[in-house]
Amino acid sequence: MLRRTPMTTAADAAPPAGEPQATGATPVFVARGLCKSYGSGDATVHALRDLDVDIWQGEFVVLLGPSGSGKSTLLNILGGLDAPTSGRAAWRDHELTGADEAALTAYRRDHVGFVFQFYNLIPSLTARENVELVAEIARDPMRAEEALALVGLSHRLDHFPGQLSGGEQQRVAVARAIVKRPDALLCDEPTGALDVETGKLVLSAIARANREVGATTVVITHNAAIAGMADRVLRMGGGRIVAIEANARRLAPEELVW
Amino acid sequence: MSALDRKLLRDVWALRSQVLTIALLIGAGVAVLVMSVSSFLSLRGAQQAFYAESRFAEVYAEVKRAPSTMLARIAEIPGVAVAEGRVGGEARVDWPGAEVPVAARVLSLPISGEQPALNRLRLIVGRLPEPTRHDEAVIHVAFAEAWQVRPGDEIAVILNGRRQRFRIAGIAHSPEFVFTSRPGSPLPDDRGFLVLWANEEAVARAFDMQGAFGEAVLTLAPGASEPAVIAELDRLLLPWGGRGAYGRHDQPSHRFLEDELAEQRTLAVTVPLVFFGIAAFLLNVVLGRMVEAQREQVAALKALGYPSPPIAMHYAKFVAAICLLGSALGIGAGAWMGAGMLGNYRPFFRFPELPYLLPTWLPVLAAAASFAVALVGVLDALRRILRLPAAEGLRPARPAAFGGGPLGHLGRGLGARAKIPLRGLLGRPLRTLLTVLGIALAVPMVVLGLFWWDAMDSMVELQFDRIERGDAFVALTDPRPSRAAREMARLPGVLAAEGQRIVPIRLRAAQRSRLLALTGLPAGAELRVPRDANLRPVPIPHEGLALSRRLAERLGVREGDTVQVEVLEGARRVHDLPVDVLVEDIIGYTALMEIGALNRLMREDDLVSHVALRVDPLAAEALWRQLAERPRVAATNVKAVWLRVFDEVIAGLVLTSAVTLTGFGVIIAVGVVYNSARVALQERGWEMASLRVLGFTRQEVSRILLAELALAVLVAVPLGLVLAQWIVGLILGARDNESFDVPAVISTTTFAAAALVVLGAALASAVVVRRRIDRLDLVAALKARD
Ligand SMILES: Nc1ncnc2c1ncn2[C@@H]1O[C@H](COP(=O)(O)OP(=O)(O)OP(=O)(O)O)[C@@H](O)[C@H]1O
Ligand SMILES: [Mg+2]
Repeated sequence: MLRRTPMTTAADAAPPAGEPQATGATPVFVARGLCKSYGSGDATVHALRDLDVDIWQGEFVVLLGPSGSGKSTLLNILGGLDAPTSGRAAWRDHELTGADEAALTAYRRDHVGFVFQFYNLIPSLTARENVELVAEIARDPMRAEEALALVGLSHRLDHFPGQLSGGEQQRVAVARAIVKRPDALLCDEPTGALDVETGKLVLSAIARANREVGATTVVITHNAAIAGMADRVLRMGGGRIVAIEANARRLAPEELVW
Repeated sequence: MSALDRKLLRDVWALRSQVLTIALLIGAGVAVLVMSVSSFLSLRGAQQAFYAESRFAEVYAEVKRAPSTMLARIAEIPGVAVAEGRVGGEARVDWPGAEVPVAARVLSLPISGEQPALNRLRLIVGRLPEPTRHDEAVIHVAFAEAWQVRPGDEIAVILNGRRQRFRIAGIAHSPEFVFTSRPGSPLPDDRGFLVLWANEEAVARAFDMQGAFGEAVLTLAPGASEPAVIAELDRLLLPWGGRGAYGRHDQPSHRFLEDELAEQRTLAVTVPLVFFGIAAFLLNVVLGRMVEAQREQVAALKALGYPSPPIAMHYAKFVAAICLLGSALGIGAGAWMGAGMLGNYRPFFRFPELPYLLPTWLPVLAAAASFAVALVGVLDALRRILRLPAAEGLRPARPAAFGGGPLGHLGRGLGARAKIPLRGLLGRPLRTLLTVLGIALAVPMVVLGLFWWDAMDSMVELQFDRIERGDAFVALTDPRPSRAAREMARLPGVLAAEGQRIVPIRLRAAQRSRLLALTGLPAGAELRVPRDANLRPVPIPHEGLALSRRLAERLGVREGDTVQVEVLEGARRVHDLPVDVLVEDIIGYTALMEIGALNRLMREDDLVSHVALRVDPLAAEALWRQLAERPRVAATNVKAVWLRVFDEVIAGLVLTSAVTLTGFGVIIAVGVVYNSARVALQERGWEMASLRVLGFTRQEVSRILLAELALAVLVAVPLGLVLAQWIVGLILGARDNESFDVPAVISTTTFAAAALVVLGAALASAVVVRRRIDRLDLVAALKARD
């Protein structure tokens, strides 16, 4: 099991720059002094350097930054896929750093929905079955059809990934991520392999999930235009968060100009 | 070093456990080939060298008593190169320490004191008898080794009822006795059979043959017709009591050696072929899948503008590296075991020299063949990938072979998790078929080694339990009235006695003929029970023949056909007899008649020449001693000795290779199953890591992946058992051995053992895969594949 962290911890620590917008009162993700380095000696690569961040309940956060700035590394740590070299990260009262493999698996299973750049669908399962696959192991899932309806794919239920376009595949991946009604929805370059229009479809599916499921959403992108959708935009550089911008108004994906 | 070559080294290293198992697979195929072929060639080489050096005679003609002057006439027969006469006969040896009576064959050496012109002896120690000494002898090495006899030792032989002592002057090999077995026994018994050569005068005096010869041996001029010479020889010797000349083909030692060579040739060709073929097929499957798992890499290289030839070359080098390793292991192991196997032959085949020969072409051939099949497998897989448009190969989610169609409905009602392995198998039926076949073939690999034990057991059971039911078999010096059998029944320790009449015959069917013994049995005989194909006792025909099914097949004779029987004894009459029934036998060829009918055929009274005995085991030893004393007893063959000899000789010969085959079979079985599992993981690792990211536990993910392997194994094992039976039948069908038959019997234990080896390999592979799943790199799964 994850270690329970006293609720005071987040409050005690110096709050990171940038105030939350009106979405929630307590941070659900808390990271303090996160460091992640690869290799040793001269060849050491510092993916994250002493990074602090708070992410609030129900928030839609966009992570922007140049390639190699540590975005994926941060997301993977928050998603319980990777461990920092030092520092700590917590989700609500679950300590993510130092947790064992079984606890992290349970965390991902019960609370996190992932969307990957390369969809990572199971090629031998249809759209519906790919979604059902996750629903089968979730505590309180919605119906697979419902999740696929949310991403606008009701007409493609019985197609295999090989028969779907990239954008459709990615929407299946979104449906798969939200079917369990996750508390957190983590997306690493979900539109990276897609064209503008398709990208917008996927983003609106993510936005809708954020709205209707209430999942705290973190989206990594290289596309600054997408930032308009977010409550907050975290800009990364050199393994740190270098700037935080809050949007007064979230744009709908259709309103984005790429 | 080019970038691709560095990739090569890295691939070999990264896939080292697979590379090693595939190399072992190749090694096993190569080793079996090298072992079998080299031991065959070595035996053949030793045979040819010894035959040539010792001038092994090509035609033999036994005669009751022909005057020495006839030899000149024989030498004049067109086609005869060298002819030589000699005297010989059966004798008994008074050998203290022998538990059963020792039989001997005594042969004469030329008066000159020189080596004979034909069938020269190769002395390994000592010398030939002095021409003037009648009490010196050379004995054959088999008996000498069995009893550790040395020159200077004495030996007492009962020749024609007279006891005579010989001092051993030398110990020798003879081309006539490369394989030595006592008359009346199909099996060799070094401890119970002595071959002794003494000066002609001594032997001739003992057998009352002065001025005469009892056997002519000859060689043929180049291009001479053996049948023509034999026919002329028979014509010349008929008035002197000729017993029918025969060629080398019917010479007992040569026959057995040829049979073993034929056996070896079968084993040297069919078994390695099957073995190698299966290994090659598996290699093809395993390497093909391995290349396919690198699909994106190949597509990427192609997309980068790499032309196909260097890519193909890259994989060819990869295969070459594996094959080189495998062949080196295989050639080393094969040569080592080939030499070992040859060593195992030494006690059975008495050659003065039996050097191990490994011609250069053999390892080259084996290595080249394995490289060729491996390359075909890899290039085939590669071609399929290279044919794809680069974009297709590069697509991150591999384009599934799943269209809509029936597969969409497959596994309906099952959870999505259960559908993954099911569709993994059925979605790519051809590949699944190959994998299942690959695993299935692992079963026969194991059975192929193990079943020989079953076959040996069933041979013994059939021949010595069901057919030959007596405990001992007594040969009389000459045919006696049937009361001789009844008298023997009264000896202490004898529980039952049955007289038999055995006469040598030549059986002819159309163009084919062969020498064999025709046995007359009393109706209702209990100590010798002929049986049909279902092993039910067959009543002995009243007038016609009961003939060995194996011989009938060889001669192309069926039940109801008529064959010509030339009796090679007495008046040498020829009869046409119907084959009334076919009977089963294992060792030698059976020809049976009712004893009364046989005696009528011979125009003789109620005679017996042999007596089968059932013996009280407690009184057996005393009985053997008593039988040895009886003047009319020529030889006593004891079943217990046969069984021991069978175990030592036949089983020894056959099981030598069986042990190694079993070992290789296991290596191959494990290699295949392990590679199937590893390749599955390689192909699906990315999918499995994705599932882990989605929150599936290690156990759940392992189950999904291993279910596929488990399903494949569950289908493969029963299929493998069927294949095993079929392949064993195939190999035994290719045997060409007249001395003994090997029934295609596979016991449940063997089947179970083979299945267990495969299941065990699957289990061990599953554990390895499971441990690898535990170490899957989840973050890597989020990046591009591979
Ligand atoms: N397994 C690894 N081994 C060594 N270095 C790594 C590894 N993973 C990431 N890095 C390094 O860590 C740094 C941050 O990587 P990360 O993947 O977080 O970047 P990113 O911001 O997601 O970049 P991109 O936008 O290109 O995806 C990079 O410099 C990368 O080279
Ligand atoms: Mg990234």
